[in-house]
Amino acid sequence: MRKEGVSKTERPTQADVVIVGNGALGLFLADELVERRIGSVVVVGPSDREAGASQAAGAMLGCFGETTTESLRTDASRTRFELGVAAHDRWPDVLDRLEGYSRTGSPLMVTPETHVVLNSIGADLDTVNFSAMIEALDEYGKPWEEIDPREIPGFRPRLDTRALRAVHLPAEGAVDARGVLAALDARLRATGAIMVDQTVRTLVRNDGEITGVELDDGHVIEAGTVVVAVGARSEALVRTALDDLDMVPSFPGLGFAMLARRTGGEPFRSVVRTPNRGFACGLHVVPGPGDLEYYGATNRLVDHVSSVTWMADVRFLAQYSMQQLDERVASHEVTRWLAGNRPVTLDGFPLIGWLPLAGLYLLTGTYRDGFHCAPLLAEHVANELQGKPGTIDPMFKPTRRPIETRTIEWSINEYVEHNLAGWFETGAEAAPQMTTAQIADYYRVMATKFYDTMGIDYALGPDILWYAQGSLLGARRVARYFHRLAGGNGSQPAGTATGEARR
Amino acid sequence: MTVSQEPVAETVRLIVDKQLNLSAHGYEFGADDDLWALGMTSLTCMGLMLAIEDTFRIELPEEALKEGTFRTVGTITAAVEAARPTSGTKV
Ligand SMILES: Cc1cc2nc3c(=O)[nH]c(=O)nc-3n(C[C@H](O)[C@H](O)[C@H](O)COP(=O)(O)OP(=O)(O)OC[C@H]3O[C@@H](n4cnc5c(N)ncnc54)[C@H](O)[C@@H]3O)c2cc1C
Repeated sequence: MRKEGVSKTERPTQADVVIVGNGALGLFLADELVERRIGSVVVVGPSDREAGASQAAGAMLGCFGETTTESLRTDASRTRFELGVAAHDRWPDVLDRLEGYSRTGSPLMVTPETHVVLNSIGADLDTVNFSAMIEALDEYGKPWEEIDPREIPGFRPRLDTRALRAVHLPAEGAVDARGVLAALDARLRATGAIMVDQTVRTLVRNDGEITGVELDDGHVIEAGTVVVAVGARSEALVRTALDDLDMVPSFPGLGFAMLARRTGGEPFRSVVRTPNRGFACGLHVVPGPGDLEYYGATNRLVDHVSSVTWMADVRFLAQYSMQQLDERVASHEVTRWLAGNRPVTLDGFPLIGWLPLAGLYLLTGTYRDGFHCAPLLAEHVANELQGKPGTIDPMFKPTRRPIETRTIEWSINEYVEHNLAGWFETGAEAAPQMTTAQIADYYRVMATKFYDTMGIDYALGPDILWYAQGSLLGARRVARYFHRLAGGNGSQPAGTATGEARR
Repeated sequence: MTVSQEPVAETVRLIVDKQLNLSAHGYEFGADDDLWALGMTSLTCMGLMLAIEDTFRIELPEEALKEGTFRTVGTITAAVEAARPTSGTKV
């Protein structure tokens, strides 16, 4: 077997580590491994990154802007939240390292700051999440100040959806996701990693160990260590080697965003966003690169990874950006439509760790902030691959029982809150005599019936509940997973150790 | 519910009746009646799907997980027959 003289455009036949997936997680990990000189590193992934999350991301380096009432309510959610806090500190070094490889002509950090606005259209969910954010900022001693929403550069919403309050976060910004990926790619090529512009069809195993990967065209790359980091496609790929593995199920969270060129009016100079709301990540604009602005984002859990865009999502984003962010958006020129699939897990927590097949490691499940967390997670995984202690809590291991953070009652209430937020934001109308409490009742009855029908006693997050009650395939996956677990060895749910719901 | 002695269609009928609570409300329904028109919702359809799979110990193929499959006792029966390993014969 030829080990030397492999040119970077050829396909290698062997490597010390193969990373499958060229999103933010795969590339940051590769960079960390090359930096540590652990041996030969091959990254496999199609260069267009079709349907990947990272190429569609707004890449807000947000942790406090993302806070919800759930973020700090349980020990497990707090541990997860603190990943984001720690990840934040890594970015100055990351950008120093990457800037020299960037060819975009604009700084990779598009803005160092964020404004979070509270308007009245997102219902009570916005209000409680806005308060939760301020409490979290104070608790962690991070800088913020309340400002007059009219002073936010670029922010010119319609009067009927104007903001009532705004908070300035001077230390929370955003990077140019597509610029960062391109710079990482260039740096990896320059520092000796081998980038293979292809897709892995199956993992290759021999008894109890992984031995490599097989590409779509049948070419095999042998490796003692394989890291699966293919985002929302990860579970399916893992199952090519471990088809009966009981791992926490995951689902694609299809998101839509637009890059558009401003044609007039005052540009945005900071991220301007609402709190996280109605199943999604809130409405936001990220300025840059150059004279472009990024408008995002929708989130819809779906049966299969794809890059389709729903007409309803286009309307949602275009209309609400004009109403809630800047009227001038109406005449922006859309230069790119972005669709990507967030890797969403059943319990909402990442899946990071060794799988029960020697040499096989899984790195996914990062949902909404995987871009931001990628450099931090890369350090952790590099340690684990080298046999050193990891740097994050081991609670995210893929073969865990789903982490519990709420009761069924809580889950139903959350589902109602999220639906109400969606109801009002989308301008749905009920008969005049119908009260908000009656609309809430409708959603409550739906959610209660859902739990009765499914016969599960694990309390789902509002996004998973929404998905499973609307998809026969989704409902079946969720129901069968829990029924299998219940019939299994009866070990304790993870919540008893780390995620217990505090009410 | 025992599957063994009854033809598939009759078992399907019993499951449908139980899930949609039809005869309890005085509804008569035949093999071709549209269950969606008789008040089936996406949630009751979900319960029906799970009950059908549990009762017949089958996994419907993904293409079958759609509204049309669950439209009538007849369409459900056809889907069950197609998904059973020994299609057409009694268990
Ligand atoms: C619209 C949107 C906005 C977002 N905004 C933010 C944000 O502001 N901040 C933030 O931190 N996060 C954000 N996220 C979330 C973030 O993008 C994800 O958490 C993170 O990028 C996931 O990275 P990944 O590398 O795991 O997956 P991906 O980026 O999906 O990468 C997986 C890669 O693997 C490749 N691949 C797939 N199958 C195979 C195969 N069989 N073989 C080889 N390669 C394969 C794909 O082409 C893809 O490039 C957003 C996501 C979306 C969709």
